[in-house]
Amino acid sequence: MSSLAVARGHATRLWRRRLTRSLVYLTLLVTTVVMLYPFWYMADNAFRSLEQYQLQSGFSLDSWRELFRTLPIGRQLVNSTILTMGSIALILVASTTAGYALGVLRYRYSSAVFLLIISSMMVPMQSIIIPEYVNLARLGFINHFYGAILVYAALGAPFSTFLMTAYFRRLPEDVIEAALMDGLGYGRIFLQIMLPLAVPAIVTIVVLQFIQIWDDLLVGLLFLQTPDVRPITVGLATIPSQHLLNVPVLMAGSLISAAPAIAVYLVFQRYLIAGLTTGVSK
Amino acid sequence: MLENNATIVLAIPVAILLPLGVALLINSHVRGWRVFRSVFFLPTAVSWVVIGFVAVRFFANDGILHDLLTRVGLGFIHPDALSHERSALIAVMITFVWSMFGTNLIIFLAGMATIDQEIYDAAKVDGASAFGVMFRITIPLLKRFVQFTFVITLITAFTALFSLIFVMTGGGPGFGTTTLEFFIYQDGFAQSYFGLGATAGVVLFVAVFAVSMLQLRLLRVDD
Repeated sequence: MSSLAVARGHATRLWRRRLTRSLVYLTLLVTTVVMLYPFWYMADNAFRSLEQYQLQSGFSLDSWRELFRTLPIGRQLVNSTILTMGSIALILVASTTAGYALGVLRYRYSSAVFLLIISSMMVPMQSIIIPEYVNLARLGFINHFYGAILVYAALGAPFSTFLMTAYFRRLPEDVIEAALMDGLGYGRIFLQIMLPLAVPAIVTIVVLQFIQIWDDLLVGLLFLQTPDVRPITVGLATIPSQHLLNVPVLMAGSLISAAPAIAVYLVFQRYLIAGLTTGVSK
Repeated sequence: MLENNATIVLAIPVAILLPLGVALLINSHVRGWRVFRSVFFLPTAVSWVVIGFVAVRFFANDGILHDLLTRVGLGFIHPDALSHERSALIAVMITFVWSMFGTNLIIFLAGMATIDQEIYDAAKVDGASAFGVMFRITIPLLKRFVQFTFVITLITAFTALFSLIFVMTGGGPGFGTTTLEFFIYQDGFAQSYFGLGATAGVVLFVAVFAVSMLQLRLLRVDD
């Protein structure tokens, strides 16, 4: 009799476990639908003409043709690329050298400088955007790529420097001492030893900044106002209102502007997660 | 305008608790949890501009939300969320929660990975139930991470919603969705009151700085 009761207990426990498991999967599946639906909606409607969209049946490339005809999408994609690449290059130069100086060389007051850089991370972009605009306008940097690149670099450099410094500090000091013994100068140690070792941190910075700058609207909107220098996000956000009603064209534009950042995300996910969680685990 | 900022703060608990709950589910290492993680994190890579365009389609008068209501037989309700002040702000808040979901989820998962497996084994030996483990071990040990997501979410809510508001509502209807950061743009650039915009910028900085400092203080007391 007792063995029967035990068997029955086993059976209920098994069922209960199955039930919890199915509930867990159900919740995760519902969440998946909620998170993915917008992407599906974009893809589903971008490949319809306006008429096909209204009927919700049939697919075509009409809206893509319309998009490229009415908006300088190609030009804007090139502009976004120039901006993103230029800014990332500048950020990398600043953050790797600063990280090396602050994390490895350690001079007098270097920790004070480090603290100053960290605290500048706390200043919101909007708080300094007006003085920044006024200054760059006086220099005549508005509507030029280099003006916006300077702004992006200034915004991205503090966090990147923080990441590089943290990374360099974790490297064992014997590496540097051994190199010094071999008669290498600090400059060559940086170029030949530290930079190759820092590749994972560099990739993290590139991925984070790529997504940040490619997706940004505000800086482009203010510092690049003429149509020929507009990045794609600004082009989309300031789309003339007669096109705003054309949902398929809008979705095609959204899709093409989101694609590069999504591709970078899918390939380099691991680095992105590492970058986002660096601040936390300390 | 500051009321709008205050209202948005109400979305923060939701933006923290939803991903915390899902992170607890994923952390039980169900099959395919990596795939779920990648999917939930995807919006992080997408521009607020793009998110805003789709959100407009969702909340518009003839949009997806109305479609859904029609399908369950509630088609007579026309939410038309974006043309009323209060509902437009709620629409922005919902979109914000959707976008923050992945970021906060990743932070919680990173936090859960730091918890020693031995604690769980010991709890199992002591006969703790799954819920007991969740509420007595996992969540208390995640306190630091909950605080971190709070700061991140608040800073995002106050300083990163510009593009979303620009695309979804343009700050309207009326001033229904004009937050402090949107006001800076509106006054400084659209209307060229540089002085007023710059002052609002200082107020925004002080607000964000105060919250971050308070948070740091709280963290230090705990440690």
